[in-house]
Amino acid sequence: MASPAQQLPPGWAAEWDQNAQRYLFIETATGRTQWEEPFLDPEGALNPVPTASPPPGQHHTKRRQYAAGQTQAYYGADTIAPPPGPAYGAVPGQPAQPSQLFTPGLAAEGQFAQQQIGQPGQPPYYGGAQPEPEYINQPGFGQGPVYQQPGVGALADQFSQMNVGQKGLRLFTTNLLTAPPEPLELHRPPPDIILPPNSCLSNSPFANADPSYQRCTLNAIPTSNSLLNKSKIPLGLVITPYRSLKEGDDPVPLITDTVIARCRRCRTYINPYVQFIDGGNRWRCCMCSMSNEVPQLFDWDQVRNQPGDRWARAELNHGVVEFVAPTEYMVRPPQPAVYVFLIDVSHNAVQSGMVATATRTILENLDRIPNEDNRTKVAFIAFDVSLHFFSLPAGTSDSSMLVVSDLDDVFLPKPTDLLVNLTESRAAIENLLGRLNDMFTENHVIGSALGPALQAAFKMMAHIGGKIVVLSSSLPSLGAGALKNREDPKVLGTSKESALLQPASPFYKTFAIECSRAQVSVDMFLFSAAYQDVATLACLPRYTSGQTFFYPAFNASRTEDAVKFAHEFGEVIAMPIMLEAVIRVRASKNLRMSAFHGNFFVRSTDLLAMPSVPQDVSYAIEIQIEDNLTAPFVVLQTAVLHTTCFGERRIRVVTTALPTTSNLSEVFASADQVAIATLLANKAVERSITHKLEDARDALFNKMVEILSAYKASMTAAGAGASAQLAISENLKMLPVLILGLLKNVGIRQSAQIPPDLRAYAQCLLTTLPSQLLIPYIYPTFYSLHNMAPECGTVGEHGIIMPQPLPLTSERLERHGLFLIEDGQNIFLWVGRDAVPQLVMDVFNLPSYEVLRGGKTTLPVLDNPFSQRVNAVIQKTREMRRGVYYPHLYVVKEDGEPPLRLWALSCLIQDRADVLPSYQQFISQLRDKVNGSSY
Amino acid sequence: MGASGWLFLFSVLMAAGLLFTMVFFIIMFSDLECDYINPIDLCNKLNQFVLPENIAHAFLALLFLLSGQWIAFLLNAPLLVYNVNKIRNSNHMYDATEIFRTLPNHKKESFIKLGFYLLSFFYYLYRMILALIQESE
Repeated sequence: MASPAQQLPPGWAAEWDQNAQRYLFIETATGRTQWEEPFLDPEGALNPVPTASPPPGQHHTKRRQYAAGQTQAYYGADTIAPPPGPAYGAVPGQPAQPSQLFTPGLAAEGQFAQQQIGQPGQPPYYGGAQPEPEYINQPGFGQGPVYQQPGVGALADQFSQMNVGQKGLRLFTTNLLTAPPEPLELHRPPPDIILPPNSCLSNSPFANADPSYQRCTLNAIPTSNSLLNKSKIPLGLVITPYRSLKEGDDPVPLITDTVIARCRRCRTYINPYVQFIDGGNRWRCCMCSMSNEVPQLFDWDQVRNQPGDRWARAELNHGVVEFVAPTEYMVRPPQPAVYVFLIDVSHNAVQSGMVATATRTILENLDRIPNEDNRTKVAFIAFDVSLHFFSLPAGTSDSSMLVVSDLDDVFLPKPTDLLVNLTESRAAIENLLGRLNDMFTENHVIGSALGPALQAAFKMMAHIGGKIVVLSSSLPSLGAGALKNREDPKVLGTSKESALLQPASPFYKTFAIECSRAQVSVDMFLFSAAYQDVATLACLPRYTSGQTFFYPAFNASRTEDAVKFAHEFGEVIAMPIMLEAVIRVRASKNLRMSAFHGNFFVRSTDLLAMPSVPQDVSYAIEIQIEDNLTAPFVVLQTAVLHTTCFGERRIRVVTTALPTTSNLSEVFASADQVAIATLLANKAVERSITHKLEDARDALFNKMVEILSAYKASMTAAGAGASAQLAISENLKMLPVLILGLLKNVGIRQSAQIPPDLRAYAQCLLTTLPSQLLIPYIYPTFYSLHNMAPECGTVGEHGIIMPQPLPLTSERLERHGLFLIEDGQNIFLWVGRDAVPQLVMDVFNLPSYEVLRGGKTTLPVLDNPFSQRVNAVIQKTREMRRGVYYPHLYVVKEDGEPPLRLWALSCLIQDRADVLPSYQQFISQLRDKVNGSSY
Repeated sequence: MGASGWLFLFSVLMAAGLLFTMVFFIIMFSDLECDYINPIDLCNKLNQFVLPENIAHAFLALLFLLSGQWIAFLLNAPLLVYNVNKIRNSNHMYDATEIFRTLPNHKKESFIKLGFYLLSFFYYLYRMILALIQESE
């Protein structure tokens, strides 16, 4: 025990007191005694230390000092400044997450200690005064938090070097048991793509395609299939080649000079990852290493007719470009856009107001239908038990109706004037649309000859191709493609349920194939209140790359229904579509596209045929690693050859380059949870149709267990043994909750109450929604409105400021509160039962909670700031995502009608619902499985 | 030549025919893989042969059953049951929309059938010769 005597200021003595078990300090000159150690001098810096043990020696080594600092920081002592906020937004003053997790590769003592301190602090599990994490605007989180530890300069230097050098992604382990899901995590960009230096020709930040066009489940591709299998993460590509552009988005650069450089062997388009060799006269393909000649006109500026700058060419600077294609890329001259509207005019359809709303919407949107070159053609066929054709001669405003009631052998009653030019016959079309509803108001016919109507439309347009837009309110009952009501409540929830999700009649598949051949695409708008067999009807859009929209129990007398349908229908017909498209995805050697998911017809092993490509539809492609990858990076290129709706043949090329890695921890660190969830959603839907719903759920659950087991076995110290933790890398932290969301989604969920139509429609959404829409669809957003910060709902720097999203659990619902839950398809406004009258007054303009009615509603805009803010939040919710969907707004009262309440509550996926586990239960199920499995 | 001799002569010819059908199927599948044919044409072509093949096989099995060739019948019974089951579930036809997903299975099935027909071809040949020898003795 070191005596403090030697450190005392002159004139003091120290004496050990046996009774008090501590030193007594005596000033020898005056005889004054004190327990506290005397000061040396002001800068001597030793405060009196009221310790029970002799004060520690002052000869600390730097190392010991650090160790002490570490302990204190570890337990959150505030004497040592907490590490400055890591990029994840750790809350200052919050104790760092205690963790015994061990990450290989960080084994050196100092680094491990750093990791311990730097464990991203868990944001508090309440919504209140939480600072906005900075990563929202950060370029990426893969760079890792920048640590600074006072007094450990050397280590800090070492770290900053690691960050600057960017040798690869670093893995941060997190424990799922103690880290509840944080909704904002989902808004993070995917892990950084860290390419080896000099792999890209240009320094353009756009050289890699934006993740909204194309994202891979792994941003570092494992070099061998066995490494991929070890990680258990599915390798796949999620593409949305034709994405709508909102304000502020950069348009896709267009290359108009028709100089298209492609590899001679693998037909890859030139991209920023090729290499110029031979003094720039040749280029080496980045996929097959073939040396190709650079086209002569590549360096020629055809607009100004002078030598141009090769490095300024868009295809060498941008990951997403569009080429204007020369005639070699055409089978025929570019076709005009053709729209044939099939309108159900049976009793149900007219009564529900569907016909009136649809005709009015078409009429209002006639100017928005893509028709820049005045070539667009349209036709209208109304059908009930017979087919009503309309002759719309050009130049006049009269139209005549021709009825065909022979459904067995469909023929066109007139060779001309049925499919007419939109511009030339504008007057007749407007006249017809104005009268169509009145013509059939008294129609009491029940029955639908949808099949023959489709055949007629096909006959009309097969020589051109285009789009058939079907609006149907009833189950097809006559002619080809007639369907029976096969809904059977007894089957629901059993293993036979998946039969209801398979097409009932082969007609829709064979017809879809014919359509695909003739470049005809079908969009389905379905409205029935009764069973309509969405599963079968959705087959047509499924194989002809159309879209299905379902408005169960549509009734136009409710304004909300009419507004929603009119908005979505208007957007669909006004959408600039791609026509006659084929998509091919090429990848570096030894990567093969093995399976395709989405709405298209697979025409050959790697060619997807799409008669039309709508905007904001996503496709998922599984990738197989056939042999070891030797290149330092791989390139994935999606090419869409298409005709624009204004008659130009174009090729859109989306290129992504990804580094390869032989390091398992990098594979985990580069995994993109959003892309994985999107891919798994597609696979689960396919499995539920080909096998059983139960199999799909099991597959999802097992996939999650496999990933966690693989992570535990290879990345944590626990190895194969049982562990009290459930470890996963920080970037996959939200994957379990996304899987849980999928398991609880209407399309997959275990339940005996979901009508097959709703299930089939949910499955359509799961397979077509791009990630941006799919993620809220499986993990809804939940805001608390009554206590949102005062700036929320007002216009800020980046538009309307949204409140903080809350975790999806009903613990957050307060009896006096107003909450908003939205999944991109529906918005629920939850009103607590003790909502104060002032709140109800402010938002709904009603005197009290009692008079408030639940259900679909339109929120009034009132003259008070709170109402305006709530409306702004709802408005922003409807607009912030791409896609045509216009969510319904439902007011849900806490003690309102149970179905609506349960529906809204089913969005809170972290809660327990019926037989489905809560998030905590799900996590412990996963942990038990992981610990129990024999890895 | 006696009844069993004629029967096995007939079955040898049938087995040869079925064998060729399977070879044709396999060639078509590999054409599809190499992108020489598109899935729609492939399915249209192959679907014409699916039922005739199944019927021919069923007819052969029926002949064995009626003529009391128990061993030959038992050899054919599993495939017969498999075919009937497929037709009952109405998934015996090739579906152009699913063909690429199911192609490995179709190929495997065709190869197994090919092997089966080959073996039965030689078995029938052996039985035919056996029948002829027995007669001549």
